[in-house]
Amino acid sequence: MVGGVAYRRPVADIAYPIAERTLANGLRVVVSEDHTVPTVTVNLWVGVGSRHEPAGRTGFAHLFEHLMFQGSRNVKSGEHFSALMAEGGRLNATTWFDRTNYFETIPKGALELALWLEADRHGHLLDAVTQENLDNQRDVVKEEKRQRYDNVPYGNALTDVYATVFPDGHPYHHPTIGSMEDLDAASLEDVHAFFRHYYGPNNSVLTIVGDIEPEDAFAKVETYFGSLPGSAQPPPRDVHHLDPLTEPARLERLEDVPNDRLHLAWRLPVDSDEDYLACSLAFDVLGGLSTSRLVQRLVRDEQSATAVHAHTMGFVDGVSLGLLIIDVAAGTEASAVEAAVVEEVERLIAEGPTDVELESSLAETERSWLSSLASQEERADLICHYTLLADDSHYVNTLLDRVGAIGRERIKTAAAAYLQPRSRTVVSYLVEEQEAAA
Amino acid sequence: MSTPTVDIPRPDVIPPEPYTFPVAERRTLPNGLEVVVYDVPGQYVHSVRLSVPLPLSREPREQEGVATIMARTLDEGTETHSSSEFALLLERKGVALGAGASEAGISIDVDVAKRHLEYALDLLRQTLTEPAFPAAEVARHVKQRLAEIEQERSVAAQRGAIELIATFFDPDERSSRPTAGTRDTVGAITRDDVAAFHAREVSPVGATLVLAGDLDDVDAFAAIEAALGGWSAPEGWEAPPEPVAARTAANRGRVVLVDRPGSVQTELIVATPGPDRRVDDGWAPYPVLGFVLGGSPNARVDAVLREEKGYTYGIRSVFRPRRRGGLFLTSGSVRGDVTVESLDILLTILDGARQGFTDVETKQGVDYIAMTAASRYATADAIADEAATLAFEGLTTEFTTATLRDLAEVDPERMVDAYGRFADGSWTVIVVGDAAAHADGIRALAHPVAQDVTVVTG
Repeated sequence: MVGGVAYRRPVADIAYPIAERTLANGLRVVVSEDHTVPTVTVNLWVGVGSRHEPAGRTGFAHLFEHLMFQGSRNVKSGEHFSALMAEGGRLNATTWFDRTNYFETIPKGALELALWLEADRHGHLLDAVTQENLDNQRDVVKEEKRQRYDNVPYGNALTDVYATVFPDGHPYHHPTIGSMEDLDAASLEDVHAFFRHYYGPNNSVLTIVGDIEPEDAFAKVETYFGSLPGSAQPPPRDVHHLDPLTEPARLERLEDVPNDRLHLAWRLPVDSDEDYLACSLAFDVLGGLSTSRLVQRLVRDEQSATAVHAHTMGFVDGVSLGLLIIDVAAGTEASAVEAAVVEEVERLIAEGPTDVELESSLAETERSWLSSLASQEERADLICHYTLLADDSHYVNTLLDRVGAIGRERIKTAAAAYLQPRSRTVVSYLVEEQEAAA
Repeated sequence: MSTPTVDIPRPDVIPPEPYTFPVAERRTLPNGLEVVVYDVPGQYVHSVRLSVPLPLSREPREQEGVATIMARTLDEGTETHSSSEFALLLERKGVALGAGASEAGISIDVDVAKRHLEYALDLLRQTLTEPAFPAAEVARHVKQRLAEIEQERSVAAQRGAIELIATFFDPDERSSRPTAGTRDTVGAITRDDVAAFHAREVSPVGATLVLAGDLDDVDAFAAIEAALGGWSAPEGWEAPPEPVAARTAANRGRVVLVDRPGSVQTELIVATPGPDRRVDDGWAPYPVLGFVLGGSPNARVDAVLREEKGYTYGIRSVFRPRRRGGLFLTSGSVRGDVTVESLDILLTILDGARQGFTDVETKQGVDYIAMTAASRYATADAIADEAATLAFEGLTTEFTTATLRDLAEVDPERMVDAYGRFADGSWTVIVVGDAAAHADGIRALAHPVAQDVTVVTG
């Protein structure tokens, strides 16, 4: 007999149409038609990110992404932005550990222009790259780093987390933004070598979501991308396996910050592993919901913390990351908060989640997943994500069923395998006491 | 080595049809609540937005921030449920409920999977009609707000925003002080203050509830009326007065430098009064002006400061309407050692725009605003947000459609007229950075506002 809320079909049916084709040059193309709005999203994921950067070139994948807007064989510097915006396009690109993505949402009548512009830069970037553009975008990226990391309180905390959780030389040891020294060292030769090595249809996925029939979309992609050679050398995946830490790792910084903040991190299994999903649910139960154990205990009851955040980052190369971030309340010792976290982690490992906790976590997962899929932009991005990194173009339709099937026991055993207190990394940003002003 | 491919000619674009915002169905409930419903097929998360117009000037001076604390504690316990129980009621069905206060009033946002709409509406009812404001929960939110104040002061952009309103608005105006209150006022707020403010001010009369989502098989009005039809105005409630524009400070045209010794970057904010959406010549030119000046890497400001000089990751210009009056803001960070030069360039560009705009940049800006509308308003939450924002101003989303149509009539002449009406050079300039390194250089700039430079700390 099955009974209890956790065993009923817990989530909504999702059935976005998915059509998939691979061009002769290796480009994987996925189309999800949606005629509710007369727009289309073009989203390209390239299988290169900061994890592929060699020593001395951290930050390069992201700097390269900036150069993709500075012109290509038939496109002037800045024209990719201006040409699409003038036709009602909203566009950008981002770089992360495992990938780089490029995307635009345009009125459907501008789809071919978008494909032409993308094919020109993904096929013929090097015709237009100049030292001047490289120097300019290097300066822009350094300002991005100052704005988002160096000139904000706690701005380098995650950089410290990566460097403490993952050993020197591991692909995830350094952040995507890189270091100032390595950005300075980037040369035009690096740009050419990087493009030749990683950029090409056989290391990319192109997704189109929106007001178009799949066959029409495939034909248009063939027109603009079909002649590009499958010249990339896609790197191997999942070769830098890391087990959980066997004893805690710690880093403490005294900084000019408004309050003490603790970052507790664990090594998790890779994104495609069911245990990664189980660990994600465990982080929800610990700190990701307003009814989570740490929120209830630290924020509501003891009031030793003013905020608790939990999230997981799924990676493909041997390990992922789970993170709790806790703002310590004034007058409370950070060590006392850390001890309470350890107690709650131990209790979760011993007892697993309750039915109600699992129900809440699934309900929150459902709403946030449906919200993500509600826009063409995000739907296209998620389809590209799981097609490139998990070889599963239907993932958007099946995730909730997979999460719903995990169950309490799997969460408990995954927590026991990956979230042991001895396996934690603790990065503390503590308030540096200022000398009283004279 | 070049790849052996044949270049394909650049394809033509077929422009989209003119965009029309989704059409709402509207009803006023007997209790005075205006209900606005959008059926958006394919949107399986429903977005509910409640706008309760309420000027912050209704807050007692010594309790500023009470509207925010009240909004944040609406779901922290009701007559029948404790704070923790209520949180569980929300989360078990994945109901995301958030509330806050702004210059315009109280906003409550609810997002919920379609099949739990009625359930979510009933929880919304409880927050509005049965909030208990337990003393311990109010005290906790006061404490959290005090921590948040310290965090805001530590972030350059937020520190700059606090200094901006203090410099820009007349000190007697509520708008010159933070919406969510200051250390002095928030620390004194009690549970009884919150309960009294709620009982005095929060009413369905004049409020608007927006629902957007896939309504196939949903009787939206019946569900809303069943949940909120019994919500009634507080005894003795009086409608708030018509909003008036906040007065600006007599000496707002000056530079205030917030000292951050050793800062590797400098945050710049340049502001002057702007219009609200009811401006005489129409709102349509203003989003275009924001785009042309500071809305993309090729806009006038970033074409120089980012793409030519490499001094910034990006600087943005935006006309920000309020219920009455508004602001024109340009802001962003620049490398510390080029602070003075960057400010000089920025003011030169912003002043120089009074000379006019080209046909090409006007057309590009108009087309961007007009033709992105279909994708900007494609989701239930974006549709509901737009309707709820306009409701505070007594407008409907017919305004959105009419403004988008009016873009066809925006030409360079109308652009320069619209810009010149507000951008008269009397800029309020906030600089958050190393005062010792930059103060003298700023004072040496030729611009009139640079002749009055004040350095503040903390």
